[in-house]
Amino acid sequence: MPSTTAAAEKLLLQMVDDYTAREISPYDMSMDAAQDFPEGFIDQLTATGFLGLMLPQEFGGAGFGPEVTATALNHIARGNASTAVTLEGHFKTIDQILKFGTPALQQALLPSANDRIFAFSMTEASGGSNPMGISSTATREGDHWVINGDKIMITNGGLAQVYCVLVKTAPAELSVFVVDQDMPGFSFGKREDFIGLRGTPVGEVVMDHIVVDDDHLLGKLGDGGLIGDSAHDDARVLMGAVLTGIMEHELKIATDYAKERKAGDKQLTELQVTHRKVADIAMRKETTKLLYQRAAQLKAAGQPYSEEAAMAKAHGSRSAVSAGDDALQILAGYGYSREYPVEHLIRDARAMEIAEGTVEKMRSAIANAEFNK
Amino acid sequence: MKIVVCIKQVPETNDVTIDPVTHNLDRRGLAGVMNPFDKNAIELALTLKDSRDDVQVALLTMGPDDYAESLREGMAMGADEGYLLSDRAFAGADTLATGYVIAQALKKIDHADLILFGRQAVDADTGQVGPIVAEFLHQPQITYAASLRLSGANEVTAERLLEDTKQTLVAQLPAVVSVRSELNTPRYPTPRNIQLSFAKSLTVWHHDDLDLDDSRLGQAGSPTIVTKVYAPEPVKRELTPLTGTPSEAASQLIKALKERQLI
Repeated sequence: MPSTTAAAEKLLLQMVDDYTAREISPYDMSMDAAQDFPEGFIDQLTATGFLGLMLPQEFGGAGFGPEVTATALNHIARGNASTAVTLEGHFKTIDQILKFGTPALQQALLPSANDRIFAFSMTEASGGSNPMGISSTATREGDHWVINGDKIMITNGGLAQVYCVLVKTAPAELSVFVVDQDMPGFSFGKREDFIGLRGTPVGEVVMDHIVVDDDHLLGKLGDGGLIGDSAHDDARVLMGAVLTGIMEHELKIATDYAKERKAGDKQLTELQVTHRKVADIAMRKETTKLLYQRAAQLKAAGQPYSEEAAMAKAHGSRSAVSAGDDALQILAGYGYSREYPVEHLIRDARAMEIAEGTVEKMRSAIANAEFNK
Repeated sequence: MKIVVCIKQVPETNDVTIDPVTHNLDRRGLAGVMNPFDKNAIELALTLKDSRDDVQVALLTMGPDDYAESLREGMAMGADEGYLLSDRAFAGADTLATGYVIAQALKKIDHADLILFGRQAVDADTGQVGPIVAEFLHQPQITYAASLRLSGANEVTAERLLEDTKQTLVAQLPAVVSVRSELNTPRYPTPRNIQLSFAKSLTVWHHDDLDLDDSRLGQAGSPTIVTKVYAPEPVKRELTPLTGTPSEAASQLIKALKERQLI
């Protein structure tokens, strides 16, 4: 008999595959065209308990661990990457509240994370990969904090209801506060018209004199940089999983087509030029999978995983773009057509060479980790 | 009231082969999933449970240890407990021998008021086990139910959907009902309920836990011999509905059977 954990994880992935095939994949193309999730899509995802997948059971969640959580997003991304990225943004935010929140803050916030999407807000017009460049502030006024600022390009911005926001509490001090979309002074601004991951809303969050108590501070004053880095690490593990899912989708499209299509009197599967491309896609997919699973294993074991997470995202994002390019070439004219999903998979993957730290920044992080060994 | 849903684990693939010696389905090495039609029966039971405070839903299956996976899935959908009938002595059973063991197990479960089956299993497609269980238990049965409601303290009303006709039937409880997939859309097990399902009771009954006549078990207790597997041509028959009171309908049936020299 398998262990209870292994049996539960198997059942979870079986359910995820079933749900993805029936409720997510059918909308992959229309989501890209409509630049949104279909009506009722997020409500059904929520009602089926996906938001609480990795939330500990004491807060009403399912309490699945980092490895199977990442694998679940991998499987969802086979059907649609936007859905997986929306969950990734939610899970990485929950992770920070679990790591840095006081028991009181966790108790106040986390039970609602089964029904409400949480988002992490760092980027501003003046600073993204350079967090000290941000200009949002939390200023002490009497017993309260007053938050002002303008966050842009926030994953799930406009969809999420709870936001962890990075602000300056002193000229050289970064801190994170938790705010709610229902608070006076909170509003949504422009939604980005991005070329990929078009189902996931990415938008602006405006904070105009939002008043909060000390209990809305996540971690301690000055922990902002640490919490931001941690959020990036958790996001990058899951992005490796999403990118693996995109490559599995690309590989399936390429192999299905090659098995059906002839070039002259030969099947595409008989041509060495096809072999080279399919093998490259498969190797890129498999190496990214190993990288994200390794990072997730380290995270589950309580060991450092920052470097491995950066590798999963940096390697995975370029790999998925290249794999999509190879798949497009196998499908030739059909691959270049919007009637087939390959072109939007390339656009989806391209987002992850930028989001959660550029691949250039990933390489610096990896190199610095190696220099410090 | 207690509802027991009888489920089956079937091969995941549609690419099932036939054993050239026994002519039975060769299930060796195939991953198993719950028979899709059985999920409609579970959904019906859970809908009834959602509508009343006094409904308990149990699941029952017969097969090797790994059939527990389908019981867990059903418990993750919301069923309260599971029963696995597992013993080498049960292996190789046809529908009659399977129905016998299931019926003996159901006798051991207290107050099994309503026993539900999916329409049929997608591997062998017989749809026979539900009716066989009803006969062993001497209980009324309704097959191919496309809707079902509890219409009184001790009765169910079901709409039976056949190829050319619909029938509305009322049965006194306890009763056996097999349901069609048109009945409902089965719910997904939520991630949290998947975890919680492992805290629910799963009882395994072996040969010695049940009151069984060994001559009725397994291959030895199976009168069916599969000689050939093929898809029959559909046959269109004229239907003659039986009308009136149950006793008048029975008289008409006997008359019709006599006319055709069947009895």
